[in-house]
Amino acid sequence: MRIGVFVCQCGTNIAGTVDTEAVAGEALTFADVAYATSYMYTCSEPGQQEIQRAVREHNLQGVVVAACSPRMHEPTFRRAVAKAGLNRYMFEMANIREHVSWIGNDRAANTRKAVDLVRMAVAKLRFNQPLIPLKMPVNKRVLVIGGGVAGIQAALDCAEGELDVVMVERRPSIGGKMAQLDKTFPTIDCSSCILGPKMVDVSQKENITLYAASEIESINGYIGNFTVQIRKKATYVDWETCTGCGLCMEKCPSAKVPDAFNEGLGAIKAINIPFPQAIPRKAGIDPLHCRHFTRGKCGVCSKICPAKAINFDMQDAIVTEEVGAIIVATGYDLFDHSTYGEYGAGRYPDVISGLQYERILSASGPFGGHIRRPSDGSEPKDIVFIACVGSRDPSVGRPYCSGVCCMYIAKQAILTRDHLPESNSYVFYMDIRAPGKNYDEFVRRAQEEYGVQYIRGRVGKVYPRGNRMVVQGADTLLGVQVEVEADLVVLATGIEASAGASDLAEKLRISYDQYGFYMESHPKLRPVETNTAGVYLAGACQGPKDIPSSVAQGSAAAAKVQALFARDTIETNPQVALVNERACIACAKCIQVCPFGAIKWKELRGDILKAEVLPTVCQGCGLCNATCPSKAIQLQHSTDNQILAAVNELCA
Amino acid sequence: MTDSNPYSTAATAEAAEQGLKILGFLCNWCSYGGADTAGVCRFRQPTDLRIVRIPCTGRMDPLFVAKSLIYGVDGVLVSGCHPKDCHYAVGNLHARRRLEVLKSFLSFMSIDARRFHYAWVSASEGQRWQQVVTEFSEQIHRLGPNLGVRKQPGENLKPLDGQKQITIPCPA
Amino acid sequence: METDTMQLHKLVDEALPELDTMIGWAASYDPLRTTPIFIREAKSIPRLIWSPFCAQNLTGYLVKPPALKPADKHKRIGICVKGCDSRSLVALIQEKFVTRDRLRIFGIPCRGTVDWRQVMRQVPLSHVRSAKVEDNLLIVDDAGGTHKLNLEDVLARKCLRCRYPNPVVYDALIGEPTVSRITPEDIYRDVEALEKRPLEERLAFWQSELDRCMRCYACRNACPLCVCQERCIAETRDPKWLTQRMGIPEKFLFHFIHAIHLAGRCTECGECERVCPMEIPVALMKEKLNKIMEEMLGYVAGLDPTAIPPLLTFNPSETGI
Repeated sequence: MRIGVFVCQCGTNIAGTVDTEAVAGEALTFADVAYATSYMYTCSEPGQQEIQRAVREHNLQGVVVAACSPRMHEPTFRRAVAKAGLNRYMFEMANIREHVSWIGNDRAANTRKAVDLVRMAVAKLRFNQPLIPLKMPVNKRVLVIGGGVAGIQAALDCAEGELDVVMVERRPSIGGKMAQLDKTFPTIDCSSCILGPKMVDVSQKENITLYAASEIESINGYIGNFTVQIRKKATYVDWETCTGCGLCMEKCPSAKVPDAFNEGLGAIKAINIPFPQAIPRKAGIDPLHCRHFTRGKCGVCSKICPAKAINFDMQDAIVTEEVGAIIVATGYDLFDHSTYGEYGAGRYPDVISGLQYERILSASGPFGGHIRRPSDGSEPKDIVFIACVGSRDPSVGRPYCSGVCCMYIAKQAILTRDHLPESNSYVFYMDIRAPGKNYDEFVRRAQEEYGVQYIRGRVGKVYPRGNRMVVQGADTLLGVQVEVEADLVVLATGIEASAGASDLAEKLRISYDQYGFYMESHPKLRPVETNTAGVYLAGACQGPKDIPSSVAQGSAAAAKVQALFARDTIETNPQVALVNERACIACAKCIQVCPFGAIKWKELRGDILKAEVLPTVCQGCGLCNATCPSKAIQLQHSTDNQILAAVNELCA
Repeated sequence: MTDSNPYSTAATAEAAEQGLKILGFLCNWCSYGGADTAGVCRFRQPTDLRIVRIPCTGRMDPLFVAKSLIYGVDGVLVSGCHPKDCHYAVGNLHARRRLEVLKSFLSFMSIDARRFHYAWVSASEGQRWQQVVTEFSEQIHRLGPNLGVRKQPGENLKPLDGQKQITIPCPA
Repeated sequence: METDTMQLHKLVDEALPELDTMIGWAASYDPLRTTPIFIREAKSIPRLIWSPFCAQNLTGYLVKPPALKPADKHKRIGICVKGCDSRSLVALIQEKFVTRDRLRIFGIPCRGTVDWRQVMRQVPLSHVRSAKVEDNLLIVDDAGGTHKLNLEDVLARKCLRCRYPNPVVYDALIGEPTVSRITPEDIYRDVEALEKRPLEERLAFWQSELDRCMRCYACRNACPLCVCQERCIAETRDPKWLTQRMGIPEKFLFHFIHAIHLAGRCTECGECERVCPMEIPVALMKEKLNKIMEEMLGYVAGLDPTAIPPLLTFNPSETGI
């Protein structure tokens, strides 16, 4: 083999403490090194041309550059050698700047170290193979999991870009938590008024296929070519024929079903359309409360449905969709405040969560928009809001801030004054987090214009006295204990990961943190990508956030997908694992350990099984290589021979 | 290295003066970045370390460490992403079990386990990298050159085929 | 013993019509040794024996390359296993090299097998005429007369520290369950004895032991879990882990490879040590790794067919590492 070694001086960055001429001279004595030189700035245009010239003149088959970190300039030099006609993987770098010249001044020792590093790079290069990327076609359809505002935004942006979208939502209607909100901060817009048109768009756009009341059953494949199985859950109503007239809901005798959309406040019928603006506007039966299913007799809805859409024998159905990219927008759930024994542990009907109060405020809520106490239906006079319930509290495993509660407390307090001008609102807070545009001004308005009393302190206990509640807390600014008698206590319950988030993550093969929030590729620079190629994140599933941020991430994820689909084919990274079938003993250890499911069985003639790597799914971690007992599977460009060659150079 | 007998006292002293050879296996995403950061910040370190870049500590076969120490490398340092921060999700979680088992086994097989160390250093932890390298280098200097497992001094350790290339075409 | 053998014959006779092959032990060229036998016809059943001389672990035959072609994967096989062998079976099932449903397992509780090399160290025998075990004595008749030896002086080292004398998996049990010879605290006493010695002494020990190694690979080939013996990285040139040079470092590295590849899988059947022609205590290395497995990860191989060997998996919230 004919190898060329180029030792960069990098001005004085390297040459200052390393004798680069000596390194090049030493390199010429290594076997297979046909050419070695020292150069001032190898990464510069003339420097690269020098490499190309040397490759041609000296008939070089591989190049070693001893210079800065490969994390800096490996792509630069790979392009340079490719232009000279070599495969870009017939190139190695020795880091003699960040790892040698910049960390010490002993010229002799640095030079010896640089020589060793060049020797190791040459040793590895001897075992390098030309690697060719594969071109795989891209299926320009995108799956959006979750029909909340982030998912809706992502779907609309993709559809706008002429892509086919498949949206899967597990509830019978899209809209997510935003559909349950009454008004949104800081503008006090009506939530359904701004979300409603977007929801309608989703249902009406021709290139969006909506599967509501459906969940992801399984996902196979890889970026550009995913195969998704979707379970359409039985709603016992044929949505092809149901017109959403609501007659069934009117006549259903089973009237005491706890209303999930209203967070358990108020009741709904066993057959119902979840809320007036529901999309799809179709009825569905809750089999746990329907008299036909629980007692075997009724069937009123079936008799009166004008479209004959009721089907008690309906089963779940599995449909298969093929997509090229996936956007995960599964949102959040609320922390279960019954963990806090001191706040009543879910026992007192007048101690409610933030979302429950939101439903009470809503005109389509259990009390028609009139604020009432859940216990006796009377109008409250004094309302206490307690911040940070299930947030910023390591003792319940939630040390993080949920980011939206300070704002929604202020909003709810303002709305309370609007609904009940004679009422008094108190807020027990630790800090006020109001970072967004117009957010801090909004909180100030609550205090200064709407007369909401902000008390800085924690609440120690909430307990009943007569038919009111007593909230016992501290006011740290005054340095006193405070007791407030309230008619209604609203807990600003924090955000936690959506139920079932971890199961979905396993199916998608994406990571999640200890709270169940999905992990982004990089917290600052890649917030909507995951480490799994082709899977993107949007919204609260990635971490607690407000509506503007969720919408921004929805659009961001859509942009990433559109960039991916800008090409008809994608090139795989050839630094992936490869199986030498002759050496494979079919022990399945590689298949077991691969974190990405990139290895599957291949059947040869005679029922012989061998492992086979899917080059588009393999991420190049090398776990399989380290695990394989016969080393049949080798991570290309980081093979055993390559690593051992470098190791052997150091063995005395 | 010269051809002289590496196990006479003079040669040992010379070896120590020339610097010992510490082999480092660093994962590309975190620790190699951390070493780069240490370089960018000009954090001084001893010169004994020779780094091999691997994609992930999950790539680390414990046998790389074993081979190195058996064949006389003075010290081996493996460093990767902090557990749960692995770029490939779980590579370092496999690695830590395997390397911990190896560490205990090395000592039983009469290889000084103090010559092997593994650490978790992220790409931003330049100072921590400096500390890890300095402390480990000092430890190796205290232990001196590694005579490996040879029975007779002078038994040539270097594997015979160090310089020859063996090209086996990659199966398609 | 005779009653056990009779019971074995009876049960095998009943099972044989549904089996393709029955693997057991038969008498060998002298009374101190047995040989594996593959029975396909009822007339060969009387050759089956069970005695403390049945040392071989027969489970290797189920998975080793020369005996197994893809067509053989569907054969129904009967097999005799002692306590230690049954753990090998479980390990093979754990790694899905065999399926339980095609095996008919004859489990035999065992009080230890005789290591004929230990016998020869006690008394150099020639022309052995008969050998039998009665109570705690081995009674051997040879050209030199009758010799009575303490059983514990002639058992294999692995038998003296056997924790699982009764098979952990079986379809039929031959004979009565028995008790272990060792208390749980003493299981790793041989390893601990070596650990107590200073590093220099350990080095001298391993240097002198491994120096005798001639890379015959008998230990690897006898191990039922080393199914990759035909592709062993100690012998292959691509990737080149090891040269064929007969130096101490090479011998160390081979044994490292063999032991580390068995970490979390070895069930201490002791075959490696039994077959070593140079009498190197190779099983000690695997015992140390098993001690690490048990202490660090609470895992013992070859007991639960559904368990995953610990080095093939991980625990995200592992502490102490």
